[in-house]
Amino acid sequence: MPAYEAVIGLETHIQLNTSSKIFCPCKADSWNDPPNTNICPVCTGLPGVLPVLNQAAVEKAILLATAMHAEVQPVSYFDRKNYFYPDLPKGYQISQYDMPIARGGYLDLPMPDGSLRRVSILKLHLEEDAGKTRNDAGRRLIDFNRCGVPLVEMVTGPDLRSADEAAQYLIRLRQLLRWLGVSEADMEKGHLRCDANVSIRPTGADYLNPKTEIKNVNSIVAVRDAILTEIERQTREVEAGRRIEAWTLEWDEDAGVLRKMRSKETEADYRYFREPDLLPLRVDEAWRQRLLAEFPELPLERRQRFVEQYGLPEYDADILTGERSLSEYFEAAVRSYAGDPKRVSNWLMNDVLRMINELAIPAGELRLTPAYLAEIIKLVDSGAVNTSTGKALLEKVQSSGKAPEAIVQVEGLARVSDQDAIQAACAQVLAENPEQVASYRAGKVTLIGWFVGQVMRKMRGKADPQLARAALEALLKE
Amino acid sequence: MQLCDLPAYQLVEMIKRRQVSAVEVLESTLQRIQAVDGLPGSLAAEGGALETDKVHAFITLTAERARRQAEQVDEAIRAGEDPGPLAGVPFTVKDIFCVRDTPSTAGSRILANFVAPYTATPVARMEAAGGVMLGKVNLDEFTYGSSSESSAFQPSPRNPWDTSRVPGGSSGGCTAAVAAGEGPLSLGTDTAGSIRQPAAFCGVVGMKPTYGRVSRYGLIAFGSSLDCPGPVAHQVRDAALMLQAIAGRDPRDATAANIPVEDYLARLEEEVRGLRIGLSPDYFRITYPDPQGEGFRQEPLPAAISDAVMRAAGRLAELGADIVEDVPMPHTRFGIPAYFVISRVEAASNLHRYDGVKYGYRTPDYVDDLNEMYRRTRAQGFGPQPKLRILMGMYVSAAQYSQQYYTLALRVRTLIRGDFEAAFDPAGRYRLHALLTPTTPTTAFPIGDVYGDSVLMQYADQLTVPANHAGIPGISLPAGFDEAGLPIGVQLLGPDFSEALLLRLGRAFEMVTAEDAWRQRQPPVLNGVRG
Repeated sequence: MPAYEAVIGLETHIQLNTSSKIFCPCKADSWNDPPNTNICPVCTGLPGVLPVLNQAAVEKAILLATAMHAEVQPVSYFDRKNYFYPDLPKGYQISQYDMPIARGGYLDLPMPDGSLRRVSILKLHLEEDAGKTRNDAGRRLIDFNRCGVPLVEMVTGPDLRSADEAAQYLIRLRQLLRWLGVSEADMEKGHLRCDANVSIRPTGADYLNPKTEIKNVNSIVAVRDAILTEIERQTREVEAGRRIEAWTLEWDEDAGVLRKMRSKETEADYRYFREPDLLPLRVDEAWRQRLLAEFPELPLERRQRFVEQYGLPEYDADILTGERSLSEYFEAAVRSYAGDPKRVSNWLMNDVLRMINELAIPAGELRLTPAYLAEIIKLVDSGAVNTSTGKALLEKVQSSGKAPEAIVQVEGLARVSDQDAIQAACAQVLAENPEQVASYRAGKVTLIGWFVGQVMRKMRGKADPQLARAALEALLKE
Repeated sequence: MQLCDLPAYQLVEMIKRRQVSAVEVLESTLQRIQAVDGLPGSLAAEGGALETDKVHAFITLTAERARRQAEQVDEAIRAGEDPGPLAGVPFTVKDIFCVRDTPSTAGSRILANFVAPYTATPVARMEAAGGVMLGKVNLDEFTYGSSSESSAFQPSPRNPWDTSRVPGGSSGGCTAAVAAGEGPLSLGTDTAGSIRQPAAFCGVVGMKPTYGRVSRYGLIAFGSSLDCPGPVAHQVRDAALMLQAIAGRDPRDATAANIPVEDYLARLEEEVRGLRIGLSPDYFRITYPDPQGEGFRQEPLPAAISDAVMRAAGRLAELGADIVEDVPMPHTRFGIPAYFVISRVEAASNLHRYDGVKYGYRTPDYVDDLNEMYRRTRAQGFGPQPKLRILMGMYVSAAQYSQQYYTLALRVRTLIRGDFEAAFDPAGRYRLHALLTPTTPTTAFPIGDVYGDSVLMQYADQLTVPANHAGIPGISLPAGFDEAGLPIGVQLLGPDFSEALLLRLGRAFEMVTAEDAWRQRQPPVLNGVRG
């Protein structure tokens, strides 16, 4: 039995997060809005209306294309893709066909073994979204809110070799989309949609076998599961000597099965032709330059730089560049701290990140600013507060918005290094716990940590734990 | 002579000087409509035999709406405000434009119940200029035709010069209405000649502006890359006045040109001495596909038409224009075949949206299958002309034929444009300011004569369609009558955005022929009506 490898290409639809739709001024984001409330004559295809291209959608597409290393075309065209569907009010979708806004490009995926998998991009094109149809007790209910929401369709080459790689591609793409600020990229909300083309072949072969297309996969986990399931199915079929037919499959997430939607042979002829209602889309060099003047450093580049510039481990660099705002927060904190970047990374990754996740806000929106974080670390470094007070300060600064120094002063949190005070507290703890003292003296020396904890509690966390430990040990030896 | 027979520019002056009120002008026009128009087009009537002596321009007369607008104009004038350059001028609108709260039918059963929730830009601009909209006039279904007979709303319009004949089309309702004094201005559309050809048939002025000069927003699309809204008027000055009001960029139409609008009136009566006017032999013959089979048949134009063009050239020469003969326009004869393909591909796609889902007609039959609902809705809702265009358009844009037809047709279109560029090239051999041609190969034909042969019908546009392919402006001017007493039109074509120049030439021709006997004729439909 030969070994097989999977050959996977992904077709993604990315909803751009423009404020208005691609061809009319209606609000683009209809999340939680009642059906048919963000609509107008243009996006509902009334007789006589005309589309007018939203420049913001073009600009976001250019940003994305640039990030994908794709070649932005100086001239591209819109075309009509003609088909009947109730939620497609014009009976055609305005899309791009043979002259898309950008061609070529790639996305590099870091692999677990440290290598990079380069996934080629065939093309990116701009188009309008259709509405939504819901079946309700034998009736079709149509919501036109989504009609005309700008999409970029991006197609990869057949370069992915496993379900995990496909998932990795989506994770990295999602990261990039959010990094660029061009899409919310939430798959559950349909901001990022994915169809997967899957075929298998003997490992190492260089030809392509007939592929199936999996539609309706609404999460990264679903993409992975659906592809795994399909690879298994194709392997079974080939092993049984059957041919793979070019079906379109639908992933039923609840049942965990793929269902056949249609055979490719019956695919519609969309009768593409140039959209006569729109002018050719010209992207001149000046516009592109203006737009790209503030083009950000991309996640992988920044990750690499964090390793080189700050001496961070790959692991830290990867997490800190997972999200643009976090990476910017880190750099700002490092600048403000002016000490060992790894120390900032530790604080960030251990405590601040948890805070960010709990609050579900970008790092840049924390009241605990990078400068405050740096100040807290410095307070701990100088011994002005102990580590646990430092960590408590993170929460206090976040909830109050006040400067760490001010909180320390007002709340009297400064670390107590006063030998006498510590000495007294230690003596008191020992006096209150004769049983533990006896156990300790009987040889259970690990109890020292417990005694330190008691002292810290008594002193409301302000004691220097080092000093307390020394004092306790001295007293217990007596 | 009644108020409704006066040109628009004169009415504006009289209304602004309070010699007459906008309401009085409106009442005069409504009386004329009452006297000559007869039954409006409707889905119910079986047309043909009814009221064969009436014009039947209208589908929807919005008299109350018009009255309110006229009253507003009068109020504004009383208040010392300027109601605008079209103050109180009644006008009609081809029923292919959406007008808010008004049935906008496209002459089709499928939109018979459609009441537009918004107003087309050119209509809105005319109203903003103080114009008073009388209502919606009849046309070929979705503008698909050259006789206005194919409307689902019958009876279809008749030619005021001979009501047994068609007014031309598809803006036949517009030109018939203007010719009969049912409003001195009308807003039409021209996709292959649909303003100029009926203007010629009805003895009025019709202008197709440069593509993009007038916004298409609100114009129910036929051939989107060819459609041009434009003015129909009695006189050139009125056409200029109206074009001034409707031209210009529109943030709702990406294809509307972002080029400043010239003042069409300022130099309207400047002399035309030294302007170079071309004549092309390619516009003095017509090429038909041989109905018997292979190949094409070429025929000279009727003498009455050729003579009218030559006479017009002579009159312009009298004014000092240079007449340049034998300008080759070799691709003229491919205009119709290329148009056949391009317009039908666009039309088929533009008709996709009429599916019974959102608005318009839906089959009353009980069907539980979506595709069956589409099929029945479209089968019952569309008349034969849209169906033919859908079939042809679908066929020639299919993946396996598209290269052979659509792509080829676009190349032909470029060649046709090349003919004009060569003729108008200021550094070229001919250096024309305008090309003078007949507007149509025939005068108005009898109702029922051509209808049914949609290929032959299409050839009525052979001399007008090149301008649509090229995107250039053209104007049809009344230039006499044939032996049967039917109007003849001549056409001036000019380079992109040369509207001011074409209007100036048109006005010069109008002035130099003002005293001609043919200018004094009036349409027989007005006999006994005009008083």
